[in-house]
Amino acid sequence: MSVPRGAVHAKWIVGKVIGTKMQKTAKVRVTRLVLDPYLLKFFNKRKTYFAHDPLQQCVVGDIVLLKALPERRSKHVKHELAEIVFKVGNVIDPITGRPCAGTRFLENLSDSENLTEADATYLSEKLQELKVCSTDK
Amino acid sequence: MPMKGRFPIRRTLQYLSQGDVIFKSSVKVMTVNYNTAGELSEGARKFVFFNIPQIQYKNPWVQIMLFRNMTPSPFLRFYLDNGEQVLVDVEDKTNKEITEHIKKILGKSKETLEKEERERKKLSHPATFGPKKYHLRECMCEIEGQVPCPAFVPLPKEMRGKYKAAVKSEASA
Repeated sequence: MSVPRGAVHAKWIVGKVIGTKMQKTAKVRVTRLVLDPYLLKFFNKRKTYFAHDPLQQCVVGDIVLLKALPERRSKHVKHELAEIVFKVGNVIDPITGRPCAGTRFLENLSDSENLTEADATYLSEKLQELKVCSTDK
Repeated sequence: MPMKGRFPIRRTLQYLSQGDVIFKSSVKVMTVNYNTAGELSEGARKFVFFNIPQIQYKNPWVQIMLFRNMTPSPFLRFYLDNGEQVLVDVEDKTNKEITEHIKKILGKSKETLEKEERERKKLSHPATFGPKKYHLRECMCEIEGQVPCPAFVPLPKEMRGKYKAAVKSEASA
């Protein structure tokens, strides 16, 4: 490689996937905090990058880590997908390793465990009624 | 503009320049995951509110991303240039502890900062004068021990071109 990896200023970036309609390419929106010179407050400034995704495994809404390619692949594609940090709908908490959604863990949710005694008796009665109906017919 | 909002001191240059976390050049991206409710995320929330502006001001080339209410536990994640990722759990920590911790693991040490400061000082010579951008003083008249500016103190007769020309013409005549 005659050109060292520096053809692009941003070597590693994290962004959100906004489009996957192109073949093997993901459109990624990257936000950086930019200081407003008068208000002296930081605001998010967006920029879209195109990333090469050979296995087309990105879905709109994923948070991904992009790595700069040593040389640009096409006119606009200068990065490739390094890893999917958070998959939409399937976020894994890196500290515990368990799937989660918002502020709850998703593992231990199952109906039979959360039923109380009264619920169980009510449901079994309902089932009995249904059995009687079916024999009548 | 008057100081508007909660804690408007965060929006002063003096406060921003007081940040002491300067990341090593290998840190490229910093990601903060925190929750907007809950006791455990309190320190992370304060960190985002007070310290993130200071860090971004001192490290303008590091991308900082904030994620809210994605996972139950708050954490920080750094992506380094060699592909390494550093995960920092900040559950139940105050914002001061968080800044101290990241300063220790990923911040430039005091010696490195002093060395860089000395390198920068070497480039400029304090005795020269010229444009304000590159030198301390603009004109020779500002240096102590040199002839003062004739705009403020008139030059003695013998230095003025008018007198010298008159003496020359008198001598030749």
